[in-house]
Amino acid sequence: METLINVGVAKLEISSRPSLLRTILGSCIGICIYDRKKKIGGLAHILLPEKKDASQLEKYADSAIPLLFTKLQKKGCTKENMTAKIAGGASMFKFKSKVSLGKIGENNIKKTKEILEEIGVPLVAEDVGGNQGRVVNFFLEDGRVKIKAGGKEKVYYKI
Amino acid sequence: MNSQIKQRIESVISNLDQLPSIPTVATKIITMVNNPDVSFKIVAEEISKDQVITTNVLKLCNSAYFSCGKEITSIERAIITLGIKEVKDIVIIASTKTVLNKSILGYDLAKGDLWKHGIAVAVLSKKIALLKKRKDIADIAFTGGIIHDVGKTVIALYVQNTFNEILTLVDTEKITFNLAEKEIMGFDHQEVGEKILSKWNFPEVLKAIVMYHHNPDDAPDDFKKIVSVIHVANTLCLMAGIGIGNDGLYHELSSSALQQLNLNDSDIEMLYSDIPDIVDVSIQIA
Repeated sequence: METLINVGVAKLEISSRPSLLRTILGSCIGICIYDRKKKIGGLAHILLPEKKDASQLEKYADSAIPLLFTKLQKKGCTKENMTAKIAGGASMFKFKSKVSLGKIGENNIKKTKEILEEIGVPLVAEDVGGNQGRVVNFFLEDGRVKIKAGGKEKVYYKI
Repeated sequence: MNSQIKQRIESVISNLDQLPSIPTVATKIITMVNNPDVSFKIVAEEISKDQVITTNVLKLCNSAYFSCGKEITSIERAIITLGIKEVKDIVIIASTKTVLNKSILGYDLAKGDLWKHGIAVAVLSKKIALLKKRKDIADIAFTGGIIHDVGKTVIALYVQNTFNEILTLVDTEKITFNLAEKEIMGFDHQEVGEKILSKWNFPEVLKAIVMYHHNPDDAPDDFKKIVSVIHVANTLCLMAGIGIGNDGLYHELSSSALQQLNLNDSDIEMLYSDIPDIVDVSIQIA
């Protein structure tokens, strides 16, 4: 039986086959890292690009992604077998105001990619930007990621 | 415009029986609390007449979000300890849950998504009111947050039938989702929500919140500020994915709403960054 694990805003979850990790995204990013040998994966749901307070590492791309990576390593996952898929980073359709939050989706995407590159986990699929919300289903059975956005579904199989 | 859908919605909203109902105690308490001279004993008596609501209200009074530490075992004690406005907000939570806590298929919201979204918007709205030193409107901001999307519960069926038309119009005309709702169905979820509040005999301020939460600039002057509070809270929650449906972020953030509330860049960032805490708090009362 697959177990469904919901990952909330600024939360991080790790599990193994046959669990299913799910999260819902607006401007946030869901980072799914999978170890294809161990069939273990983790999902981090980040809200903002850069860390401002040390107490909530799961909230920011620059602290949550390293945390996710380390936690996976502790479970016996190795970098050579890990790949990442990312989703989210949508923007408000019309952001009339000049406040910096208008660019939060974009900034989240950029920072997430930077950090993944720094750590050295290859990004094999991305479903980012636009104005749609996304429901992300990350199947730890085989690492596939199903994304539902605007009533349509897409599945990313590459691991 | 899909005139068949428009006619069907017209017939639903003109037939009170087809619109959702809530326990009568909710309207009575809102009206009573509006009267500054009301005695708390009378309010307590009125709530206590509804046993189901009373049980749920007491449970909520003792939740971490509302509780002041001491256990509350009667409505009278609740009003004395928490204040009459706080208890009114709690009555609204207890009275509207049945209507709002269900799956909203047309908007692709699973059971509980709309309800939790409303609670999160309520908690954040209250926080914005308090941040702006407007304790006087904090309770209305909270109530308005809970019910702002109530129209979705009724119009969802028609959104489901016309979703592709709505989204195509959004794409081609570059208009927001609720404007496209109105173009295609003749109504948007705000107008339908306002009709529901009329059925419930809710006050004008709450009707304005429901009617204009996506376009606060159009709200009557007297209510612009309070509508702006809910508008900003709703926008931030949607951006964080709280209660985001297939209408996505096809909405807009009004800059005049930010001006109305005198919210600057760092205020907005701070509020957005606090959303995980808002969600943690909301779970205690949802």
